[in-house]
Amino acid sequence: MTNVYVMEKIPEKIIIPLKQHDGCLCTPLVSKGDMVSMGQKIGDCDCYDSASVHSSVCGEVISIEEAANPNGTKVNSVIIQPTEDVECVDLTPVKDVSASKLVDVIKGAGIVEHYGTPTHKVLRPEGKQIDTVLINATSSEWIGGHYDTSAQYASQMIDALKLLMKAAGASKGAVVLRNDDLESINAFDHLRVDGKLLTVAPLMGKRKLSYYFKDMGSDIIVVSQERIYGQKILDLLTYNLTGRRVSFCCDPTDVGVAICGVKSAKALYDAVHEGRPYIETVVSVSGKVNSPKKILVKIGTPFKDVIDACGGYMGETGKLIANGAVTGVAQYTDDVPVTKMTTSITVLSADEVIRDVSIDCTHCARCADVCPVDLIPSRITAFADQGRFDECRQMNILNCVECGRCSAVCPSKIHLLQLIRYAKNSIENAYEDLSSKESPANLKLGCGCSGGN
Amino acid sequence: MTFTISAPPHKKENITFKKIMWAKVLALMPVVLLSVYLFGLPAIGLVAASIFAAIATEAAIQKAFGQKITIADGHAVLIGLMVAMIIPPEVPLWIPMIGTVFAVGIGKHAFGGIGSYVFNPVLAAWLFLSLAWGSIMAPASYPQTSALFELVLENGAGVMAGVSPLFILLAGAVLIFRRYIEWRIPVAFFVTTVLLAFLLGDSLSYVVLGVVVFGVLFIATDTSTSPTTKNGRVIYGIVCGVLVVVYGHFANYVDGTFYGLFLANCVASLIDNNTLPASYGTETFLQRKYRSIVSKVPFKDRLEVFLDD
Repeated sequence: MTNVYVMEKIPEKIIIPLKQHDGCLCTPLVSKGDMVSMGQKIGDCDCYDSASVHSSVCGEVISIEEAANPNGTKVNSVIIQPTEDVECVDLTPVKDVSASKLVDVIKGAGIVEHYGTPTHKVLRPEGKQIDTVLINATSSEWIGGHYDTSAQYASQMIDALKLLMKAAGASKGAVVLRNDDLESINAFDHLRVDGKLLTVAPLMGKRKLSYYFKDMGSDIIVVSQERIYGQKILDLLTYNLTGRRVSFCCDPTDVGVAICGVKSAKALYDAVHEGRPYIETVVSVSGKVNSPKKILVKIGTPFKDVIDACGGYMGETGKLIANGAVTGVAQYTDDVPVTKMTTSITVLSADEVIRDVSIDCTHCARCADVCPVDLIPSRITAFADQGRFDECRQMNILNCVECGRCSAVCPSKIHLLQLIRYAKNSIENAYEDLSSKESPANLKLGCGCSGGN
Repeated sequence: MTFTISAPPHKKENITFKKIMWAKVLALMPVVLLSVYLFGLPAIGLVAASIFAAIATEAAIQKAFGQKITIADGHAVLIGLMVAMIIPPEVPLWIPMIGTVFAVGIGKHAFGGIGSYVFNPVLAAWLFLSLAWGSIMAPASYPQTSALFELVLENGAGVMAGVSPLFILLAGAVLIFRRYIEWRIPVAFFVTTVLLAFLLGDSLSYVVLGVVVFGVLFIATDTSTSPTTKNGRVIYGIVCGVLVVVYGHFANYVDGTFYGLFLANCVASLIDNNTLPASYGTETFLQRKYRSIVSKVPFKDRLEVFLDD
């Protein structure tokens, strides 16, 4: 079991953005000069497309202002100066609640997936029915919380999965592990669920989850698969696991699949069993810091203090990256807070900063060899560079998971990922105002998903 | 504290075009040394003249057109070296110089520089020289690998590329292992050539030659003149093999390699355009057929385990 350290030192100030998800901005419930206690709700929104925000410390609100956010923009944030005393709001566990009440609990506890969608929106999307809930534990940042033993991790995950299924009204659920992550596989193996022994099944060949549900005669299963990573892996993951294709402009909920992360599962478990809102998260700090580790921090802690807790910067620092060196966002300041969407912090030294100059593509096909979704990145990029987005779309650019492997292996140092994102954004923008141009009847034709069937 | 910001990915592999080119030049050095042993000092003169002409042409063209001068990336050096290696070493020195001027000037830059040329400049130069000065370009002897030792040192070799099949194979294997050249084309090409030659009854001692191995590993894998798609590269390898055997069977495998590869270059982009991969999860033709046959099987329930739903 990887050790997760707990950050003991309380930072000088805590910056809590009022928007830690993709959706509406919350309105602050406190004003400057107010005293807040730990777990107190400080931001809320009536809109379904949002999640509440809570104070992670006890202290005084010193201002509410636009502050830097790890996604590169500025977001209205509540800035709190912590005080010494640890006063916490009363935490009441919510056991045995109905499914619809559970959704309110999730929204009230401010649980958000690490890819940005609020969890209640994933489980109960408006106008769609979920039948399968997946907990994706395949990413490298799989440790979502602080556990004593790996068996505890496994049993909590299964409990959380049951809660997620209940909230979504889904009949089937699965935990997805990584093939080479033996620690978790051993933890889940031989675990008892409802009196039945659990076995971790590796996904083989073209077999999908439905086969394993039938094979094991169980509605809750644990499977393992190859590691896949990238910014937009949800569609590929859905296809790999269930065999359902997600069409353009749709997400996995359109085909009845809800994908949750380990972190949100753990947060839900805590919210139900302890009544605690989502106020702390585990981030893995790596790269050029004196003692890289996985550390449990309060949401809103500035990166600066997290890095100090990991022994500070080592040598001359070149880049500070949130969420992984391959696809993450480089930060211009270390005053950005850890949010619900932060999974890792990477520090690169000054001489690791890449300053290559692109040359012409030599068609060496290294990008095509590493692409996990069988694209020809070199050709797509050439089209994207010329603004020929329709041709990009014909070449399945929308399948791209944005893993960045093509850019990493390119000997000509072409900015493939950047160009592909540019083309994808342009295509999505072109479709943004489609509904006003086209009649709804025509719009349906473009979408192959049938709302959960 | 100041931080650099840029778009992801923030970590890349430490590989550049320059590195690949110089690695190829370095990989061919043992063969050049062996050919100096076999052909004597004129071989060095040939290589030097050829590389000099290649670099000078590239610099002159890029200077004239106001482009960035890229002789340091090693591509011109590689073209010069490879042209020298497929010319008989007894020729007067103006032959390799004209050859490389043609290779770099017409073969490479007239088509738009690295990544844009349709025909491998080395092959274009060889073809040009052979057509223009056929009598001078005819090698003194055509080799035959009669003993096992000839795989290491081919005594009857007519050109520098043919002196040692084994050393070229080793050099290529190292490059493939380091992923500097890719494996699909060489494997498909070599298997097709040997299989077809065997079926046609050609003695393998005329097929497994240094020049053929050189063509398989160094000319056919030239990235700009070969397809990008995975299936396309396998098909391209097979096409190369067929064309080389067609020429080789009726003439000899030394000239056959060059003519066959030159013709294969013509169809490379055609293959590329017709083998674009489908979206993931799309069934291929064979899978569709298999599924339609299996769905008609009466005892389907029992097969279900194999059918994965």
